[in-house]
Amino acid sequence: MIDPHESTARQQHVTSEPANGVMPPPVRRITLDRQPTVALPPSQDAVAIANAGDRSLAAAARPARGIAGPERMTIDGLSVYYGDNHAVKNVSLPIRQGEVLALIGPSGCGKTTLLRTLNRLTELTGSARREGLITLDGEDIDSLEVTEHRRRVSMVFQQPNPFPMSVFDNVAYALREQGSKRPKKKVLEPYVVDALQRAGLYDEVSSNLDHPALRLSGGQQQRLCIARALAARPEVLLMDEPCSALDPKSTNVIEELIVELRKELAIVIVTHNLQQAYRVGDHVAFMYLGDLVEYGPTDQVFDNPQAARTRDYIGGAFG
Amino acid sequence: MLDRLREPWTDRRAGLLLGALACSVLAVIVFMLVFIAIKAWPSFAHNGLSWFSSKGVVDQQLDAMVNSGPNPTSADYQLGAWPLIYATLLTTFFATVFGLIFSLLSAIFIVEFAPEPIRRVIVPVVRLLAAVPSVIYGLIGILVLAPFIGNSVISADQKTSVQFVIPLSGTGLGVAIAVLTVMITPIMIAITVDGLHSIPRAWKEGALALGVNRWRAMWTVTVRAARPAIIAGAVLATARALGEAIMISMVAGSKGFAPNPLDGFTFFFEPIRTLAATVVEDAESINAPAMQASLYAMALVLLVGAFFLSLGSWIAKQPLKKYGTRS
Repeated sequence: MIDPHESTARQQHVTSEPANGVMPPPVRRITLDRQPTVALPPSQDAVAIANAGDRSLAAAARPARGIAGPERMTIDGLSVYYGDNHAVKNVSLPIRQGEVLALIGPSGCGKTTLLRTLNRLTELTGSARREGLITLDGEDIDSLEVTEHRRRVSMVFQQPNPFPMSVFDNVAYALREQGSKRPKKKVLEPYVVDALQRAGLYDEVSSNLDHPALRLSGGQQQRLCIARALAARPEVLLMDEPCSALDPKSTNVIEELIVELRKELAIVIVTHNLQQAYRVGDHVAFMYLGDLVEYGPTDQVFDNPQAARTRDYIGGAFG
Repeated sequence: MLDRLREPWTDRRAGLLLGALACSVLAVIVFMLVFIAIKAWPSFAHNGLSWFSSKGVVDQQLDAMVNSGPNPTSADYQLGAWPLIYATLLTTFFATVFGLIFSLLSAIFIVEFAPEPIRRVIVPVVRLLAAVPSVIYGLIGILVLAPFIGNSVISADQKTSVQFVIPLSGTGLGVAIAVLTVMITPIMIAITVDGLHSIPRAWKEGALALGVNRWRAMWTVTVRAARPAIIAGAVLATARALGEAIMISMVAGSKGFAPNPLDGFTFFFEPIRTLAATVVEDAESINAPAMQASLYAMALVLLVGAFFLSLGSWIAKQPLKKYGTRS
């Protein structure tokens, strides 16, 4: 009978010693027949930019700030509890048309909860409880029909979640579900094409709108989700870290899209990426452990933060 | 030899041994199919395609086989099994359709609408019900349901209307369908619940965030995506219904009779006997060669029916895969 430990020990023994007295392979010297290519030292400009921090690059990439329109949603003294956990503490914020509000802060500080509360998705969690007032165009959102409210305040999630249907059916989904009668495909087509164009996806999928949505790439899927939300003609678009699962190129496309969309919509975006908040945000709200620590125009929050915790977070002291 | 088995298994060895195990299952099934087909052959050979038709009274034919002795003539093999096939199709079809409706609606309730305390009770209970031996359902059917229907539901008029064709006692198609539905619904619920649970939450939330209520989101996204699981559950349940013997034999009246839909509602009170029930009831007469061949023939029809059921479910799932996660 062979003890399994013994047999493994023997195997190790065999591998650690050259079998049958064979010598290990000779050491080969690497000789250079030409000078190695050395990376050139960074130029003065690049050094200057690097010293100024990542943000100056971001600033160069960012478009002009949006022009704030009328206030569409108001959050007044909002608190959200999950059981005993006080996730969002007495937050008040305005959400204006024509600009992007970026919510930043470390993980678990209540950003996503705040966002989901705006869409009343927190109500799906049995233990969640809300205090405070949220209004949409002056109306308390609790007085609105929940489906009506969610049509006006739509949401894009962190993970792209297209339905297991064709591209066309995904975008047409909300339109079909809005009416009591299912409209014909011909009737829906212009709306679907328009939504896809606004989401910047149409050129890539126009040849085959029957393509299964789940076979698109991650970035395309996320833009499809944005198109799906836009097709319902929402007034406020909530985005929960829409780029965190995407590659830099797709992120870039979606950021351009956000900047484009803010002309007609109010956008709230949650992001972990400070550069992204700086690039797309018109106003920035910094949250920490459920508190709203600082809210202000993006330049002010990033360049001249008022609160010490904001300064530490933006400076990278904690994340 | 045993020492070698104690050593850590290589993937190659595991693959070979498990493969042999899996293939042996396949071999048993093939052997069974061939064996039954050979045994069934005389019955089909003497009847031809008329085996599947309705000729004469099937119960009299079966009785004749028992009395035909060890050397049956071709006349002794005569069998028109259509009433039995028809009864099998009727019970299986109705039970599956009713079961599918019940189970889908209950599964939606359990997954989407049931409050947490109710869900905590109902899910284990459903799984328990799925494991109840069918003979218990049969007992309740014959002791409670059949007398109730025979005494209180079937009117005297209905009894007299068919009295020269078939006596109505309570046991019959309706009770068989009802008890069969009760028997197969729990397993369908259990599989459908698992199927609905396995659909990513993100899809449902995506639909809700677009302003669709939970009921519509359930139907348009979750149930749609769970269709393969629902079909799988239905097929499993249909296979159980197809092969159920003891319980049907108890509650269905045990008459080789083809209920006539033209009789109106009385249709559901008319007694029947399915293929599986016939095999069980007549197995004691298996020493008569004609009877033996006939029973093997019925078994073969059931076996081939189950095979086509699997094939049908596979075909039904194909178009659903196009937009699913599997590519």
